Amino acid sequence: MSRIVNIAIASVGGQGGLTLSRALAIAAVLDGYSVRTGETLGMSQRFGSVLSYVRIGKRVFSPTFSTGEADFLLGLELVESVRALPLLRDGGVAVVADTLKIPISASLEKMSPRVDELIRELTRRSRAVIVPASKIARDAGNPRAANMVVLGVFQGISGLLTETSLRKAISEVVPGKWLETSMKAFDEGLKYGVSVRTVP
Amino acid sequence: MFNPLKAPEGVRIALMGNEAIARGFLEAGASVITGYPGTPSSEVITSLHEYGVSSEIFVEWAINERVAFEIAYGAAICGARAAVTMKAPGASVALDPIVSSAYGGVEGGLVVLVADDPGPHTTQTEQDDRWLGFLAKLPVVTPSSPQEAKDLTVSAFDISEELKLPVILRTTTRVNHTVGEVLLGPVRPPKRTAGFVKDIPRFVRAGMSWNLERHRWLNKQLDIAEDVFDRISPVRNTVEGSGRFCVVTEGAAYNYVREVVDELGIEVRVVKLSLLFPPPRKFLTEALDGCSDILVVEELDPYLELVVKSLLKDRGSTARVYGKVSGSIPLEGELSRGLVRRAMTSLLPGTPSSAPQEVQPRQALKVPPRPPPMCPGCPHRSMYVAMLIGISRAGYKRGEVPVFGDIGCYALASQPPLEAIWTEHSMGASISMAMGAKVAGFRGPVIAVIGDSTFYHAGIQPLIEAVHKRVDMLVVIADNSVVAMTGHQSTPAWSTLESGRKARPVIVEDIVRAVGVDYLEVVDPYDIDKMINAFERLIKQPGVKVLVSKHPCALLEARSRSLRRYRVIDEKCTGCLACIKVTGCPALFYENGKVSISADDCVGCGLCARFCPYKAIEVAGNE
Repeated sequence: MSRIVNIAIASVGGQGGLTLSRALAIAAVLDGYSVRTGETLGMSQRFGSVLSYVRIGKRVFSPTFSTGEADFLLGLELVESVRALPLLRDGGVAVVADTLKIPISASLEKMSPRVDELIRELTRRSRAVIVPASKIARDAGNPRAANMVVLGVFQGISGLLTETSLRKAISEVVPGKWLETSMKAFDEGLKYGVSVRTVP
Repeated sequence: MFNPLKAPEGVRIALMGNEAIARGFLEAGASVITGYPGTPSSEVITSLHEYGVSSEIFVEWAINERVAFEIAYGAAICGARAAVTMKAPGASVALDPIVSSAYGGVEGGLVVLVADDPGPHTTQTEQDDRWLGFLAKLPVVTPSSPQEAKDLTVSAFDISEELKLPVILRTTTRVNHTVGEVLLGPVRPPKRTAGFVKDIPRFVRAGMSWNLERHRWLNKQLDIAEDVFDRISPVRNTVEGSGRFCVVTEGAAYNYVREVVDELGIEVRVVKLSLLFPPPRKFLTEALDGCSDILVVEELDPYLELVVKSLLKDRGSTARVYGKVSGSIPLEGELSRGLVRRAMTSLLPGTPSSAPQEVQPRQALKVPPRPPPMCPGCPHRSMYVAMLIGISRAGYKRGEVPVFGDIGCYALASQPPLEAIWTEHSMGASISMAMGAKVAGFRGPVIAVIGDSTFYHAGIQPLIEAVHKRVDMLVVIADNSVVAMTGHQSTPAWSTLESGRKARPVIVEDIVRAVGVDYLEVVDPYDIDKMINAFERLIKQPGVKVLVSKHPCALLEARSRSLRRYRVIDEKCTGCLACIKVTGCPALFYENGKVSISADDCVGCGLCARFCPYKAIEVAGNE
C-alpha cells in the first residue's frame, strides 16, 4: 500500500458500525500497517447517525479525512450512506447494505425516502455495490451480522487486508456465542464480494 | 475475546486512546482508579471493568468528579499511585479540591485525566482545560496519539512522584476515541499505600502562613518541572524539519499539521509540545530561534498562541505570530487537514492553495436528519408523554409550564416531536434553576426533570435547598437504575458493581424522604394512565413534590427479558401519524401512506398502541 487508504463507515447507532471499524483497525495492525480511526462514541447506541473514519497506511497520523477523500464507503443503511456519499472520491467504491431505516424526522413530514431513489443516488456517480446484507446475515443464522457481511464484501472486492487477519480481528470483537454465525456472515460476504469484483 | 489489558510487553496491537490510557494506568502501577462517566473519557474505566484487573487495584466509579478526585488525592498523599478520569465539565465540578491539591502535593503519583471535546461532539461547551495549568498551577501534559496516550500516562505518574504534584493528563476526543497501533510496555505491580505521614502544615489548609509557605514551595516545583519532564518522559517536546517558517502545535492538531506538511512537500519547522504547563520556555526559546513567522495550530482557545507571544516579547523577538487571534485558525469547532492546509498555504506564498482532494463534492440527494432520539421503549419517553398530557389535564397549555431539564438521555426529549424540556444546563441544575424561576416571581407551576445518576451526582443539595426555602415545584426523578447515556455504568443503587465488588444500595426514594419533601410518589411510567394522573394531580398541588419515574433502561431490559412486539394492522391504519407524533419512537416509520413498526427495533412498550385512535396497533407475539 503506497498511500493511505481512507474508508468511511456510515450506519445507524446500534447496527454495528463501530464493531466494523474496530475489526478493520485490528486486522490492519495485524497486517503490519499503521491505522487511525475517527469516531465519536457515547451517543452511538441511540438510533442516530453514526459515521466512522478508518485510515490505513504505512504511516498515518490524522483520524479523519475530508469530502472527496474516501476510497471506500461502507454503508450499513441507505439513508446514512447517501448522507456520507460526499466523502467518497471520484472513482471510489461504495459497498452498501440494502437496509432502509426511515428517520423519525422524515416520517413526521410524510417525506420518507425511497429505496430506489437512494440506490439511484448511490450509483449515479460512483461504483456502488448494493448488498442484501440483512438477508445474507439472517441466512447465516445471525440477523445482527450485516456488518460482517459488508466487511466480507469489502474484502472480496478490495483484497486490502489478509483474510487471516480479518478472521482473527472478528474473533476479537464478536462475543463468543455469536462468533460462528458472524464468521459465516463474513464468509458469505466474501464470496459475494469476489463474485462482483470483476463487474465493471 | 482478546484481552488487550493483559497482553504481554512488546506486543503491538490496535487500541483506542482510552484503552491505551487504561493500559498506561496498569503499566504505571496505579492502585486506585476512579472517576465519573463522561464522554469522551468513559472508556478508560469501562475497559478496565470489562477486561478485569487484579483485586489489588481499586477501580470504581464515584458519585461525582469532585468525590472521585478527593478519593484519588487521599490515596496519593498516603503514597499510593492513583488516577481519576473525567470529561471537561467534570473538571469544573472537581476544581476546588484540584486547586488546593497543588499546595499539599502528593507522595504517590496522581494523574488526572481531563478529556476536552473540540467540535463539540458530546459536550455542552468547548471548554479548554489547558488553562487548568495556569489556574491550578499543576503540570499539564498532552498526547497526540494512542501510543503517546499510553506512554505519557506512565510518564505522568513518574513526573508526579518526582515533583510531588498531581499531573493533569489533558486529552481531546480525537485522541480518546481514536484507535491506533500501540506497542505495549511492562505492567508494574500496583503501588498501594505505604502509610500516611502526618504533616500538618503540608496538608491542613487552615493555616494562612502555611499556605503562603506551600505556595512558595509550589512555585519552586514548577520552576524545575520542565527539566523533570525532559529527564523522565519518552514523549518529548520535539522539533521536526527546519526553516524560518515555523508551526507550533500540540495534541490532535499535530496530526493534521504533520500530514499537511508532508502532502505539500514544504520545508517548515514543526514544533510540537507535549508539556503544556508550565510552558517549556527553555525548549521553546531554542526551538523558535531564528523563526521569522510562526503559525500556532491548536484547538479550542489560543492558549499556545498567548504562551508563544509572551515568550517572544520577553526575548525581544520580532517574529510574526499567526493563529486564532489573527484569524488564521478558527476559534470554534475542531480542526481538520483542510483547515490546517488553508491556514498554511495562505501564509506561504507559492504553495498550492488547494490540494487535489479538496475538489467540490458531488451534489448528493438531500436526506432527512437523524439526530439521536430516545430509544424504542425508553421509559423516559413514556414519562414525558404522560407529563405533556398531565400538564394539559391540569388546565395549562404546554407553553405555560417551564420544564427544567438536566444532563442525561432524558435531555434527548428536546427533539421533535416531544420538545419537552426547556433547559439543559449543567449537572443538577434542573432543580436549582426551577427554584430560581420561582423566587424571581414566576407564578405558574414549574417542573424539574433529573435522572437518577445526575440526582446522586449533583441533585441532592438543590433538592435540600428547594425544601428548605419552601419553593413550590414538581421534581421528576427519571430513575432507570443506571448511567445510561455514557454506556450503562453503575449508580449508588447497585448492590454488585462492575468490578464484582459487593456494595450497599443507596436508594433514591430513601434520600428524597430523608430530605423532607412535602410529597413523594413512585410510578412506573409504562403504566401510562397512572403516570398521567400523577402529573395532573401533582402539578396543581403546592409544596416540593417528587415523582420518581421508575423503570429500567429499555436497552438493558431488552437484553434480560423476553420481548413482546407490536405490529400495525394495515387495514386499520389511516396514516394519521398519531402514534409517531405522540411518541417520536424510532421503531415507527411512515411509508406508502401507512405506519409500520420495525420488528428489529420494537421492544414492546406498547406506548404507540395506547395512542392509536383506530386501534390499529396490536401485539404481534412474544419472543
